[in-house]
Amino acid sequence: MSFTRSDVVVAGLSMRLVDLPGTYSLHPFDAAEQVTRDFLLSGQVDAIINVVDASVMSRSLELTVELIETGLPIVVALNMMDDAQRKGITIDIKALEAKLGVPVVSTIATRGQGVSSVALKALHASKSKRAGIPATYDRDTEESLNRLMASIPPEAADKLGVPTRFLAIRLLQNDEVIGKVFQELSPDAVELANKERKFLADEHNWPEESVFASHRHAVAMDLFEEVARVVPRQKLSWRDRIDNVLMHPFWGFIGVIVALGGLFTLSFVVGDALAGLVEAPFEPLTEAIGAKAENSLWWAMLGGLVDGVIGGAGIVLPFLLPLLLLMSFLEDVGYLPRAAFLVDGLLHRIGLHGKSIIPLILGYGCNVPAIMGVRILESTRDRIITALLIPFTACSARIVVILALVAGFLGPWWALGVFVLNILVTALVGRILSAFVPGSAPGLLMDIPPYRLPPPKALAQKTWFRIREFLVHAWPIIIVASIVMAVLQYAQVDGYLNSFLSPLTSGVLGLPVVVGVTLVFGVLAKELSLVLLYAALGTSDIISVMSTTQILTFTLFVTFYVPCVATIAAQIREIGWRWTLVSVALNTVVAVLIATTIGRLG
Amino acid sequence: MTLSQAAAGKKLKVVALKKGNCNRCNLASLGIHVGDEVIIRRCAPFSGPLLVEVLSSGIQLAVGRGMASSMEVEMLDE
Repeated sequence: MSFTRSDVVVAGLSMRLVDLPGTYSLHPFDAAEQVTRDFLLSGQVDAIINVVDASVMSRSLELTVELIETGLPIVVALNMMDDAQRKGITIDIKALEAKLGVPVVSTIATRGQGVSSVALKALHASKSKRAGIPATYDRDTEESLNRLMASIPPEAADKLGVPTRFLAIRLLQNDEVIGKVFQELSPDAVELANKERKFLADEHNWPEESVFASHRHAVAMDLFEEVARVVPRQKLSWRDRIDNVLMHPFWGFIGVIVALGGLFTLSFVVGDALAGLVEAPFEPLTEAIGAKAENSLWWAMLGGLVDGVIGGAGIVLPFLLPLLLLMSFLEDVGYLPRAAFLVDGLLHRIGLHGKSIIPLILGYGCNVPAIMGVRILESTRDRIITALLIPFTACSARIVVILALVAGFLGPWWALGVFVLNILVTALVGRILSAFVPGSAPGLLMDIPPYRLPPPKALAQKTWFRIREFLVHAWPIIIVASIVMAVLQYAQVDGYLNSFLSPLTSGVLGLPVVVGVTLVFGVLAKELSLVLLYAALGTSDIISVMSTTQILTFTLFVTFYVPCVATIAAQIREIGWRWTLVSVALNTVVAVLIATTIGRLG
Repeated sequence: MTLSQAAAGKKLKVVALKKGNCNRCNLASLGIHVGDEVIIRRCAPFSGPLLVEVLSSGIQLAVGRGMASSMEVEMLDE
């Protein structure tokens, strides 16, 4: 999980700012929130800057209340004050400071307003180590907490570096991590906490697990009412008017289709232009190396290296960059959550949630960041199904193959047909998977934020994070794979591979035997199969040596079979090697089935 | 009645949240609590989620049907 660290100098003193993933509470629901919580309690934090969305302040204050309980120095940045004012909310900052016992600064981060003041106050807070005023709960809860605090050994608080009260609250809240630590430190305290929790729940008829969630809500609401004044808006806002179209049961879907169509078209147009710019200067270099590569292993390896670098820079990056940038824009402007709302019902039929649409769209750029994107899904089941489906989405490398072979030799309508077939197959596989993957799918629950123009810097950062996943996790693998391939070619193992694979290639699929080698190396990086196909057949005029059925069979097989090594590596990290094996087997079986069916029909 | 049975556009009050552990805490942290007044703003097609607005805060949430049927609500007069 990635977060940024940046060193800044304020008032002559340098400090390190760590931007943690956003969270609604210290009770984590997904991997990103877990990271935030772990880091805050790691003992490395001198002061917390709690960025509060002023336009939904009552909800955000719940986290503030929780953060103050950790005993760490805090500065509250009351952000998006402009949005709050537009919603008719006015906030008395002095009163809020007095109530919380921590500095509060009003900011409009998109315009840089108040930001330096926040940093300065954070610096002061970390020096003075002054903690805020913890919220007081109702009498019964306070009495329970007091009994519990008395039972916690003082060295526990020292060891964990947090106040005893915080530990008592977490125990009462049945916090898994703290509970586990206490099983060793003081099992008595855990037992007492369980008893007190049950007592409170019975006494007030509260459900046990939400004792504190509803408490903090009550505390935050009281705070909000004391420090804020709301003049509610009466007329239909522009947000409602936009939503009337974009979330409409019919026009909304048209909107989704137009938005996604636009996303891909624009990415491809821009990507094509960029690819041309990248590839052209390399051409003389590759030609020069190619001439020497035939009789020198070192030149062959160098050629492989250059091919790998160009493969990443010339095929994947040009397409991925605009796609990720546009995706981040759609996400941050608030459109993607609305699209997810619309398609949730449909995706349910293939066993997914609306939220899965984000990693699935990313899959069309590059499967590697897409697989990493499944972390936004809460349930393990959703993560597994989505990660198994992503290799079916045709990434930019495979789109290149489809466009070159099918669109190039059979015509654009055939290519469109391949894409439609690709989507149908993905849906069908999802439908089947949802019946077999164990686990329950909790219902969708997703914040629909107001529309907002995202600041360019935030967009650039988000895009950079996803690009970095390709640069760090996929590109090196493509380069190594490309060198390995060059060596094997130099050693002239093509013949062996081809005859070894001939039962599959010519027997089952009805393709020329020489394509065997292209399929093996296609696993290393899918776009290689195209380059190698030209080499294996000795011509780039494929139609002169392969029938239309064979071209279609080959393309469909390349589109669906074993995901590339970089994707496999990402899958192993995210869903474990067992599910990765399932994924590889699944793709191969589906690829063989589809390619042979097409072969029979043609 | 549950939220999934309630009519869109009517003021509702959340009376109880049924079902297992984390559904409830997540609802709370995203901004829906017992006692809150809510309105169903719209329903997604193909029996998709509901768009629920919490009146006191203006927060809008997409709530899946499964989750909605675990939320007990009552209609407020008016």
